[in-house]
Amino acid sequence: MSLTDLMTMATPNLESREKILARLCGRDLVNCFQCIKCTSGCTALKLLELRPHEIVKLVNLGFVDELASSDIIWTCATCLKCVQRCPQKASPYHVIVALRNLAVEREAKVPEGYLKAVSQILETGLAEPCRKIVTRKMETVDRECLGLPKVCNPKESFQAVFMKAMEEKP
Amino acid sequence: MKTAVFWGCCILADQLGYEMSVRETFPKLDLELVDLRESVCCGDPVKSINDFAANYLGARVLALANQTGLHDLFVPCNRCHFTISEAMNTMSQNQKAGRKIRELLKEEELEYNPGVKVWHTIDLLHDCMGLQKVKKAVEKPLKGLKVASHVGCQIIRYSDLGRVDDAENPSKLDELIRALGAEAIDYPEKLDCCGSALMHSHIDSALSLAGSKLKALQALNVDGMVVSCPDCGLMFDTRQKDTATIVGIKLNVPVLYYTQLLGIALGIDEKKLGLHLNQSPIDHLLAKISA
Repeated sequence: MSLTDLMTMATPNLESREKILARLCGRDLVNCFQCIKCTSGCTALKLLELRPHEIVKLVNLGFVDELASSDIIWTCATCLKCVQRCPQKASPYHVIVALRNLAVEREAKVPEGYLKAVSQILETGLAEPCRKIVTRKMETVDRECLGLPKVCNPKESFQAVFMKAMEEKP
Repeated sequence: MKTAVFWGCCILADQLGYEMSVRETFPKLDLELVDLRESVCCGDPVKSINDFAANYLGARVLALANQTGLHDLFVPCNRCHFTISEAMNTMSQNQKAGRKIRELLKEEELEYNPGVKVWHTIDLLHDCMGLQKVKKAVEKPLKGLKVASHVGCQIIRYSDLGRVDDAENPSKLDELIRALGAEAIDYPEKLDCCGSALMHSHIDSALSLAGSKLKALQALNVDGMVVSCPDCGLMFDTRQKDTATIVGIKLNVPVLYYTQLLGIALGIDEKKLGLHLNQSPIDHLLAKISA
């Protein structure tokens, strides 16, 4: 569903807006004057129709609930051009991260890749498993046969503390 | 110089050629690497789920570095470097989060130290070792080799965080390439993103971004592309065939890590640099160098 469809007949929720502002730790979202520098340089604009200036405007107006349940917030490629180029330091990237975190808190649909990474970290400390690799000439190799040191998993205490950190809400 | 090293996940699990070439080339430049006691995630994929937990993981890496007693931490991955830099920023700017993170670290008897300096491949070689030192170490100048650099995104943006090069006109990687005797070309797509972050959610779009950049480079007839981030290496080298399928064109762009190119110029054996692990057709490039 496009953003325009999502906003049709929607009403702003200022409480949710406050939640996002609190997560931005003083980034001056309200000063966005829609210069569209962020969108004109956005990596995800062409293929995925992400328009960061719209996201910032919608949050400013209080349409946070709609955004948090929309797929559009998961299309950002995190290239950070918008953070760099925003003349008001409104930083659409950080707004998008805040919206993603809120979506997770509300148990909205989250791309599986992220959830898989988190459970992998819980299990081994690393976000992806060490695996065998096939060379250009189709030989199978691993770290050991390449003479690379063994990967050391974190101590057992890590899991419990990481879980605690994951439960933290701003 | 002695520095601690944090590899992140992507290098240890998949981009072994980067790790091998760093481990081979750095000692030749008098850089001694000390591995951290454990291999953990920097927090990057966790950012989208819970920003606080991501900052905790980033700060935890710095606390592990603190344990080595060294004041320098080398982080060869762009994403890890960014995540750890943001964690440092949070620790100094956000008192509430900083206090909570310190408490969590204490539960594992870890201590955060704001005095650790975080380096990336580009600034460690360019700013710390210096171009002259790199030049002097070269045994086999790469004369006649024409390559294009891909610096990546998160290592140059955003500047307020303290990044390794200019956000809009990065030049250090090109200078490092020239120090080896090769030519580094400029091209319109230089700052385009590899798309790797979208591999979690929109795989086709991610591959399309990488493929479009490779397609543009192929038209310029360069001998290869040089990268310095494992995620970019994964997209442009390991997944090159998949990107070609998505953009509907045959792609033949040799892609290698700067440290692999450095290793060749230092006269190190190809296998020790993990050059047999690259999936893109780098044999053309290797043949041109040895010709």
